This record gives sequence, C-alpha cells and structure tokens, in this order.
Amino acid sequence: MKATLDVINQMQVDGAIGKYAIGGAVGATFYLEPSATLDIDIFVSLENSPGSPLLTLSPIYDYLTLRGYQAEKEYLVIEGWPVQFLPPSDDLDREALQQAVETEVEGTPTWVIAAEHLVAIGLRTARPKDFTRILQFVESGVLDADKLGSILQRHGLLAKWEQFGVKFLGGNP
Amino acid sequence: MSPWMQKVLESKRAMRQRLQALSFSEKLKLLEKLRDRSLAIAESPLRRRQHVKG
Repeated sequence: MKATLDVINQMQVDGAIGKYAIGGAVGATFYLEPSATLDIDIFVSLENSPGSPLLTLSPIYDYLTLRGYQAEKEYLVIEGWPVQFLPPSDDLDREALQQAVETEVEGTPTWVIAAEHLVAIGLRTARPKDFTRILQFVESGVLDADKLGSILQRHGLLAKWEQFGVKFLGGNP
Repeated sequence: MSPWMQKVLESKRAMRQRLQALSFSEKLKLLEKLRDRSLAIAESPLRRRQHVKG
C-alpha cells in the first residue's frame, strides 16, 4: 500500500492529479477495524481538458500506462493494488475532498476522507455494504454528531439518514 | 441472552476496539493480509469447482 501511495503522491507532484484523498473501505480503515477489500478508491480533483467542459481521466491513464502500469476494467493497477480514481460527482464529493484529513502510512504522507463525509457518501451511494459500514461507524463512536448533521443537511441527505435510522437503528440515528 | 453469549460478544467488542486503536499503517498491513487471503480463497480449486457446479 505504501508503494501505491508513493506513486500517487508522485503523480500529484508531477501535476497529473490535483488534491486527492482515500475513500471507500481503505479510507474507513483509518477510523475502524480493518475489513477486507480488493481495491482502493481515490477521490481526486482533475483539471478540465483545454477547450472542454468535461473532466477526463485520460491524464491519469496516460501518466500511469506510460510508466508500465496496467489498466484493468475501471481500475489502474499500481504496485499490486487496483486503484479506482473518482473525480468529484457533486458538491458532497468536492467538500469531502477539500476537508480530507492528512495522515501518513509508514512515513508517506497521504489524505483520507473524514469519517462524517464517508458516512454521507455511503448514505448517498446506498448499497448494502455502505449501510454495513455506516453501522460500523455509528457503533465505533468516532463520528462527530454535529459535524455529520451539518453535512447531511447541507447536501440534502437528512431524509435518507432518518430512513436509515428507522430501518437499522430502531429510529434513533 | 446467556452469560456465555454475553462474554463472546464482549470479547468481540474488545477485539474490535483493539484493532480500531492501531495506527493506520498497522491497519493497512492487516488489510493487505486480509486481501491476500480473500484472493487465495477465490483462486482455490475447491471454490472454482463449487462455482462451476453453480
């Protein structure tokens, strides 16, 4: 994992990507007990191509394939880990990326999405595994309730949170 | 709930708390081991045979 993050940090230094932060199961592992996953989700800010309103992952693919890394489906395999680069899809993603928490892995600096943003993103994505992870966050006691409430309100997720509470927490989210 | 089950659940909770308290680097090493095991299980001939049987 450290070797993978070293490559991603170098991509940032070389200008292939902007700010980035780890999300998904690996990001959640920063706060919770480790749980098995086969890939790494990297939220990443990208520049628009000159003259195009669309974001493109081409600079990332070009950068990595030029250095011998292989693309497999939606992943790029970097030092043994399939990595999925996720440009922000909405204001919640953009805010999560901006407010990511700085940390390090064996001396390598890196950034992780804040716990409350991981919960909000999981609530928005709403797959069974997202709900399992949200429950883990709730049970772990690592969430700042005020911060979470404010994120959910800002991004229109309060109704979903209430539904989640009714379904999984006996009406007490 | 039986006292035995309570003890089991308490032990699991304590284990989760111990794991949660590890550094990110230590947790990622465990995560890599979990991933290696998942891949080994997925590639095992027994599992492949099971998959073919459907």
